[in-house]
Amino acid sequence: MKDDYLWDKTGQPDPEIQKLEEILGTLRYQPWPLELPVSRRRSYFPLLAIAASLLLALFAAGVWLQVRNQTAPQPREAKAISTPSSVEEKKPEQIIPKIVAPSPEVIAVNHKHRHRSVPTALSTREREEALLAKQQLMMALRLTTEKLSLVHRKPQNTTPANQIKNQHRVG
Amino acid sequence: MYATADMLLMTPEAHAAEQPQEQAVEVVLVRGVLDGDRDCFARLYDLYAPLVHGILLARVPRAEVDDLVQDIFLHAYKKLHTLRDSAAFGPWIAMIARNRAVDFHRRSREMVEINDELRGSEAHDSRAAEILELIRSLPEAYRETLVLRLVEGMTGPEIAARTGLTAASVRVNLHRGMKQLREKLGFMEGL
Repeated sequence: MKDDYLWDKTGQPDPEIQKLEEILGTLRYQPWPLELPVSRRRSYFPLLAIAASLLLALFAAGVWLQVRNQTAPQPREAKAISTPSSVEEKKPEQIIPKIVAPSPEVIAVNHKHRHRSVPTALSTREREEALLAKQQLMMALRLTTEKLSLVHRKPQNTTPANQIKNQHRVG
Repeated sequence: MYATADMLLMTPEAHAAEQPQEQAVEVVLVRGVLDGDRDCFARLYDLYAPLVHGILLARVPRAEVDDLVQDIFLHAYKKLHTLRDSAAFGPWIAMIARNRAVDFHRRSREMVEINDELRGSEAHDSRAAEILELIRSLPEAYRETLVLRLVEGMTGPEIAARTGLTAASVRVNLHRGMKQLREKLGFMEGL
C-alpha cells in the first residue's frame, strides 16, 4: 500500500514520503507569467516590397526599350530620304554630281526613289551627255568582255591535260 | 494548471481514462498555437511549466532554473511548427529541457568555481536544498522522476504521460530512486 502512495498518492500514506513532499514542496514551481514575442508569424512585407520593386523596374526597362526601338531609327531614315528630295526641290542643278558620286548612305537607303526622281530632273543637254556616257560605258564593257573571253580561251589551248581530256571525250 | 490540479485527485482508473483526453487537449492546444492563438500557448505553458521546472531542477542550480524555464518555452513557441506529432508536445519539451541543461553545463565549465559556490550556498540555505542535493547525486533516471514526484507533486501516471516514458519505467525509477534516497538520508542522519 505504501508503494501505491509513492506511485499515485493512493492507499496508506508513507510518513517519510509525506515529510519529504512537505520539505521539497517549498522548491515547487511558482507560476510566472510568460512574455511571448509580439508576433509569431513571419512578416512577408519586405519580400513582397522587393519583388514588387523588381517587377516595376523590369516593366519600366521594357517600356523604355520599346520606346527607344520605335523612335531611334526614324530620324535616320528621314534624314537619308529627305536629303535628295530637298535638294531636288530647291537646287535641281546640283543633282548630277550627287548621282555620279552618291554617298553610301543614299545608295543603301532607297534605289527606287533615286530612279524615279532622276529622269524628271534632267534637261535635254544633260540627257545627251548621259547617253554619251552610257555608250562609252557599254563600249568599255564590250572590250572587257572580249578580253575576258580571250583570257578564258588561252589556258584551254595551252594545257596538255585538257587536250588529253578532250581527246578522251571525243574518242 | 487545469488538468494538473484535476489529475492529482483522480484514481488510477480515472488517470488511465484521462490520458487520451489530455493528449487530445494537447493536440487542440498545439493546433491553436499554430493558428496564431497565443492563449493556447499560455495554457500549454501552465500545463507543462512544472514538468520543465522539475527536469531543470534535477540538473542545474536553482538560481538558473526560472530563467531557463522561460527560455525553453520561448524557444518552444518559436519552433512549435517543427513538432511533427502534436500529441507529443510533452516528450518534445522535456527533451528540449534536458538538452538545455546539458548546454548549460557545457557553457559553464569555465565557471566551475562560481557554480560550486552557488551549490554551497544552496546547500546551506535550507533542509530542502540539502535533500535536493542528495537527489541530484543519484543516477539521472532516478533524480528526474523523484524531483517530479516529490518536488512538483506529480503522480507516477502523470509523469509517464508528460515525459513520454512508460508507466513501468517510471514506477521502477521511483522505487529504486526512493530506496537510494532513503539510504542516503539515513546515512546523513547517522552523522
